[in-house]
Amino acid sequence: MTGDKATVWSRLALLVVLLWTLLPIYWFLKNAFLTPDEIARFPPPLYPLEPTPAAFFNIFGIDYTLVDGTVRRGSGQANQIIRGLINSAIVSAVVTAVTLLVVLPLAYVFARLDFAHKNKLLFAILLAVALPPVSTLIPFYAMYIQLGLAGTLTGLIIVTLTITIPFVTWMLIGFFRNLPPVERLALIDGFSRFETFRKIILPLGKSGVAVAAVIAFLFAWNEYTYALVLVNGTTANTLPTAISGFLFQHPEPSHLAASLALTILPPALVAFFLQRHIADMNLVDPVR
Amino acid sequence: MKATSRTAELSNLQFSLLLALPVLVFLLLVVAYPLGYALWMSFHEIVFFGGYKATFVGFDNFVDVLTDKKFQKSLWITIRFTVESVMLAMVIGLLLALVLNRPMRFGGLVRTLVILPWCVSLYGTGVMFSYLAKGQTGIGTALAFAFGINDDVNFVNRDWVIEVLAIGNAWNMAPLVAFFLLANLKTIPRRLYDLAAIDRMSHVEVFRNVTLPPLRFTLFVFTCITTVLSMKLFDFIFVLSGGGPGTASATLTYRIYKESFKDLDLGYGAAMSFMLLALILGSTFLLYFLWGRREASTP
Amino acid sequence: MNQLSMTVAGATALALINGAVQAQSLEAESGESVYFRGWQYKTDIVQDNVDRYNDEQSGKVDYATVTGDYPALMEQNLIAGAELDVLYANPSQAGRYFDGGWIMPAEELDNIDAIKADMYPNILEAWTYKGKLLGLSYFVSTRGVMHVNLKKYNELGYTDADFPKDWDALYDQLYEMRDKGLEQPFLPHWLSEWYGISWAFDFEVMNRGGEIADGETHVPLLTTDADGPAYKTLEDWKRVWNDGLVPEEVLTYNESSYIDAYASGRYVFSPQQLYDLETFNREDRSQIAGHASLLPYQGQSWGLLDSAVYLMTSRERADAHTEDVKRFSNWYGYQNHESEVFVGNRWMQESMLFSGYKSVMESDAAAERMKSALAREEDIPVVLEVYANTPYPKGIWSVVWAEEFNSWLKETLQDFLQDDGDIVETIEAINEQITDLNAKYNL
Repeated sequence: MTGDKATVWSRLALLVVLLWTLLPIYWFLKNAFLTPDEIARFPPPLYPLEPTPAAFFNIFGIDYTLVDGTVRRGSGQANQIIRGLINSAIVSAVVTAVTLLVVLPLAYVFARLDFAHKNKLLFAILLAVALPPVSTLIPFYAMYIQLGLAGTLTGLIIVTLTITIPFVTWMLIGFFRNLPPVERLALIDGFSRFETFRKIILPLGKSGVAVAAVIAFLFAWNEYTYALVLVNGTTANTLPTAISGFLFQHPEPSHLAASLALTILPPALVAFFLQRHIADMNLVDPVR
Repeated sequence: MKATSRTAELSNLQFSLLLALPVLVFLLLVVAYPLGYALWMSFHEIVFFGGYKATFVGFDNFVDVLTDKKFQKSLWITIRFTVESVMLAMVIGLLLALVLNRPMRFGGLVRTLVILPWCVSLYGTGVMFSYLAKGQTGIGTALAFAFGINDDVNFVNRDWVIEVLAIGNAWNMAPLVAFFLLANLKTIPRRLYDLAAIDRMSHVEVFRNVTLPPLRFTLFVFTCITTVLSMKLFDFIFVLSGGGPGTASATLTYRIYKESFKDLDLGYGAAMSFMLLALILGSTFLLYFLWGRREASTP
Repeated sequence: MNQLSMTVAGATALALINGAVQAQSLEAESGESVYFRGWQYKTDIVQDNVDRYNDEQSGKVDYATVTGDYPALMEQNLIAGAELDVLYANPSQAGRYFDGGWIMPAEELDNIDAIKADMYPNILEAWTYKGKLLGLSYFVSTRGVMHVNLKKYNELGYTDADFPKDWDALYDQLYEMRDKGLEQPFLPHWLSEWYGISWAFDFEVMNRGGEIADGETHVPLLTTDADGPAYKTLEDWKRVWNDGLVPEEVLTYNESSYIDAYASGRYVFSPQQLYDLETFNREDRSQIAGHASLLPYQGQSWGLLDSAVYLMTSRERADAHTEDVKRFSNWYGYQNHESEVFVGNRWMQESMLFSGYKSVMESDAAAERMKSALAREEDIPVVLEVYANTPYPKGIWSVVWAEEFNSWLKETLQDFLQDDGDIVETIEAINEQITDLNAKYNL
């Protein structure tokens, strides 16, 4: 396993990984720096020849004058984009917090302990995960209208929780099972079950917690199907549906690209801050 | 002493369950109502025009669904799409995890970049891949012209659209798989690799005997997860191909959307969604019986 | 004073009173919010219009854009009785909503006679369902106008004199172009939207002189004769598809990709929206700016009448609230408090959207606007003539099953192309489907 050959291979591998990851993003987001006539060019340009940040200003409602004097007008969608941004942030934060609070003890209990009705509840969780949103859309909508929850952030938060909680529980069960069996040792040392959970399992499973937080956040941030029906056109509109309008009727591909860039930014930041916990994880030998 | 610790155990267990279970039960109720309503709809034929009417038809909707050629075609498309997506996602996820496991400079930045596809919403993925794969705007065309071939290269046609969808879906899901696998990889003590080096094991043997075993359970869990996610998928397909060209990529979710939303055939759509649910649950159980049971039994 | 001046005085007084009455009656009074939901088109302008109403008429109109599959989402809203008072609709959807009992037709407005008097008769006819005018004019346009990319057309050696006069001549010319080396000269209207490939079939059949269903009885009228319009349409479609004259991916295009594809300048002919002549002539939007023109009316119509109206819902409301909804609709859909068709004129100025009202179309401002949007001044009378001759498929649109048939037709036509289907069988299937739908709804 000597130096040079391994390094070349690993450098190559890294390059391939980055190319695979970034190409689709780059290919569309380059449109955010072009004017629509450039975007319409055939064959499609490999890179933007005359990049301009006009679209980024436009989506916030600000006009931008190009070098040659033409004015790219601010988008009429700006209000909804900004409102969508705020709403998405609120929904995602709340959903992440609640999900973590509920799921961490739940997943641990399912993974490490045995109790009555365990299998039935596991099945119920699986059922909740397996439900396709497209089937429950209309009943949810009808139910929400009756409860007065349609078009509210609360309603959307509840619906999103029905997706994140079962899903993250399911994932974390697998993760917690993989942790070394420290319970017996902890009991011998006099820890109660809850203390075991809090002081030993959680730190050991920090990476799992971090990933769970990222996943919950992303699910909430990117939720589109339910939002499309439940909050579309209301004051509780979230970002995905707000920007989907850019593809219809009066197409503005540069605005779409700019707003997509906007939607990727917060999750990317969240991911950046949390991915550290996986890398920095100390490999504690639990026997010690 | 034993008695006290056991009761202390139980009460702590009850405590944690007390916290989590009510929320779980609440959520199940929230889900149960729409589920129940959908079930009710599936046994009725619902008409809106000329006055709202819901007529009980028993299992007719279900029978009609099973004999509907369009349903059968969508079933096949869904299975093909799911199998391709899952295989790609798992393999790519594993490769990503292995690459990320190595120490490198700017590790944080690289890891963040790798997780970007998961950060892009499925809607966004649909837009990006549709742009990437279509002849008018795609990279195939750009590269072709760059090499002097003045022809457009289109992948969004009948023959390849499902593959395009599977690649896009795998692109989106692979980071999720990768990060969980990475977390598992990190728990493998360095000592084991050193021991393997002393034993002069080849790369393949190291992979099979040291790296793979702790990953197996996670691989199983994520195969299930990616399967379920792929079968439930709607927005990605709707945006990228709209079920097309024609009906070439009309998965079950798209078909349900069309029946329920556009044709307002709510009873029929509801029956079809129970078929889909059965498919999803069935696949998960199948995976469990074939694979998961072995994993669960290993300590 | 003599009799004449008395009459004049009287008439003036009456007009003044009417005007004054009009001005007062458009102001909101109930204090309830009027919920207005539109689709995604120039939402900044709509918002500005709404703001004006709210400022000048003490209104409480709540406007928001609904993105995505607008008709499906609106239908869900209507079924669920959501907070919705004013919405957009194509006439075919309007009929469906009316049959569902969800909307209050424009007939209920007090000044309905004045409104009808200002409308073009053929448009009034198109928007009348079961004897009632359902909504007020949002826009009218011809979708399927045959756009010509003059740049490429002239490069290939053609001039205005060579403009094909009907669909047969067009297809022949396409093959000529292919022989001259242009592989794919045509971008057909086969996009994936609800107004895509199915409308393409509708207008091509009508342009060729046919009718899909009877306007009153909705009985199917397509024939399987080899020189019938439906047969020739499908035959030509099959030809160009199998010979590769058209790009396959058009079947997955949405509006945005469709416009971008033509704006790239790759294609010579394409049926597009009439008002997009302006889009394709804009420097910052298109690669063929200054070269986008259209085929004139030379005995055969092009495209079909695409339009949208503003509808009022019939949900549970207090009477005073409903009055406010009516007032806003009137202000927005017809004349504002200064007796000017404010919104209609603005759409003409902003986007060259035509209106159903004569007062908008025949104004000088409209003429000026058209001049600035088109590539050549000689195109203006061409535009007006094409517009005046645009057909409307009443048989399949002014009926409750319009949307269902539309989406069925879309799938059928897509399969016909991709499976190399049989022409006669397809026509017979279309007729059968119409008959079945009539039976389903007891028509």
